[in-house]
Amino acid sequence: MNVRAVSEMEVQDGARRAPRWRMRLTPWLLMAPALSIALAFFGLPIVFMTRMSFNEHIDQRFYVPGFTFDNYAAMLTDPTFSSALWTTMRLALISSIVTVTIGYVFAMLVWLKPKRWRLLFIALALCPLLISEISIIFGWWMFFPKNGLLSYALTSSGLITDKISLMYTEFAAFVGLSYVIFILLSIFDGIDKKVLEASADLGAAPVRTFYEVLLPLTKGGVAAAFAQSFIWAIGTYATPSALGPDTLWTIGYLIQEQMLGKHNWPRAAAFSIVLTMGVAVVMVVIRMLTSKRTALNG
Amino acid sequence: MADAHSLSTDATTAPAARTRIDATVLRILALGFTIFIVAYIAIPVLVTLAMSFNDAAAVRFPIKAWSLKWYYDFFGSPQWVDALKSSVIIALGTTVISTTAGVMAAWAFERFNFACKSLVYLLIMLPLFMPGVVLGLGVAMAFGDVSLFGVNVYGSRQLVMLAHSLWAMPLVFMLMEATFRTVDHRIVEASYDLGGRPVQTFFEIVLPSVSTGIISSALFAFVISLNEFVMALFLTTRDTQTLPVLMWLSLRSAGTPRLAVASVILAAAVFVSLSLIMAWYIRQLRKT
Repeated sequence: MNVRAVSEMEVQDGARRAPRWRMRLTPWLLMAPALSIALAFFGLPIVFMTRMSFNEHIDQRFYVPGFTFDNYAAMLTDPTFSSALWTTMRLALISSIVTVTIGYVFAMLVWLKPKRWRLLFIALALCPLLISEISIIFGWWMFFPKNGLLSYALTSSGLITDKISLMYTEFAAFVGLSYVIFILLSIFDGIDKKVLEASADLGAAPVRTFYEVLLPLTKGGVAAAFAQSFIWAIGTYATPSALGPDTLWTIGYLIQEQMLGKHNWPRAAAFSIVLTMGVAVVMVVIRMLTSKRTALNG
Repeated sequence: MADAHSLSTDATTAPAARTRIDATVLRILALGFTIFIVAYIAIPVLVTLAMSFNDAAAVRFPIKAWSLKWYYDFFGSPQWVDALKSSVIIALGTTVISTTAGVMAAWAFERFNFACKSLVYLLIMLPLFMPGVVLGLGVAMAFGDVSLFGVNVYGSRQLVMLAHSLWAMPLVFMLMEATFRTVDHRIVEASYDLGGRPVQTFFEIVLPSVSTGIISSALFAFVISLNEFVMALFLTTRDTQTLPVLMWLSLRSAGTPRLAVASVILAAAVFVSLSLIMAWYIRQLRKT
């Protein structure tokens, strides 16, 4: 009876005038699953890894509790690790530039083409997202075998093997192409196509229209897309280690090798922390550069 | 007078001709780029598809004989079938976890104001921007030797589901936050005025009107989990290996046409679920 009366009163009262504490509590209850996943499986591991990165690695044991900066120092002193840092940065930079360029032209094309083509283009843009990275790598691996005819011809004609393998890697750098296209397309969709006509009417050639009208209008989108692509590329290791030359070690590859191959947990953790820092720096920079609302800066 | 006339036509035809040439050049460039991008996306897929029907034991072109031999081989191998099963189970689990959590959080963001909103937003979105290597390693280290009720957490499918949710959930959250913004608030208010309780309103009024958004974000979650392999590589044991992990290990040792078959099956799983969703969506459209 009592319970019934209370619930009826609530119904009459209406949800908007529910008790204050309940209004306060409801959003937190709704967010509880999402927050606990983020905290338990992202926050906690980051804290754990930070502590782990100062531990020592002695006698083939996973780790020995201690406090040392050796694992961080190794990145600067050991040539293998410092060159991996450099390789990772360079690869991420090149592949982001390529990805953003391709994505930009693609998004511009979708924007300019008549509406009836749109669905087809969108389906095409989704493909890299839907097909497994490994399938793509395997496909390119078969198309450009490392010891295949094309490779042989290019090597024997005087080109350096290293460069060719690097080219394969960048060619297969699919990471994030879909995301880049969709970020840029959403920016293009916000632009009135009449600006192109206006620019042409005023006598500007297409190239000039591009530099003086389109590029400034899409600047924010390009920055966001570049950041997204860079962040995705910086952590990759599958494509370079499968398609690149045997010495093309990225940080991601070294983390995997230290963890699963050498069982050196502290060092793997230290590399991960450095990689996380790198991502954080890119995010902060992009947040300062773009004032527009993107996924990065809610 | 005649002179002036001819002068003016001259002045207008020259830029017109230039514009026409410009337009032709642009059209050719656009066509070339379209061909390039189609080839870029299609070549690895077509090569893999062709190789999966190869009869020979090694990955080598040209293909001399065609057969379904490697498909029989794939489905006859318990290791590969188990990996496929693991992948599907983990992907379904990830979809349920991340869609539930993401939708609830997005509704909280749309409907309520609370303290530290942007901090919470950052916390939920941040894992999406983290490399898989870092997330996988972190979870593996933190839960490496934890056991619940005598069962090892490490190596269990549930742990992989939760780890995959780190990428899938922010994506669902982001998509649903945008979708909820399109819900007409007057309808929600009307439901409250008619005596609908918040929970009832949410399930009977809000959810049906955003079903398309929920379905598409759930699909994203499913596909991401099905294709992800870096986190799975760190978190699975021999018994719970997913298909992409097995493919990666097999690519590292030596590629056989079986790997091509696995690629085709993985892609087929994605496209089948995509078309099921499309069929459901079209039926839904016809109903209204």
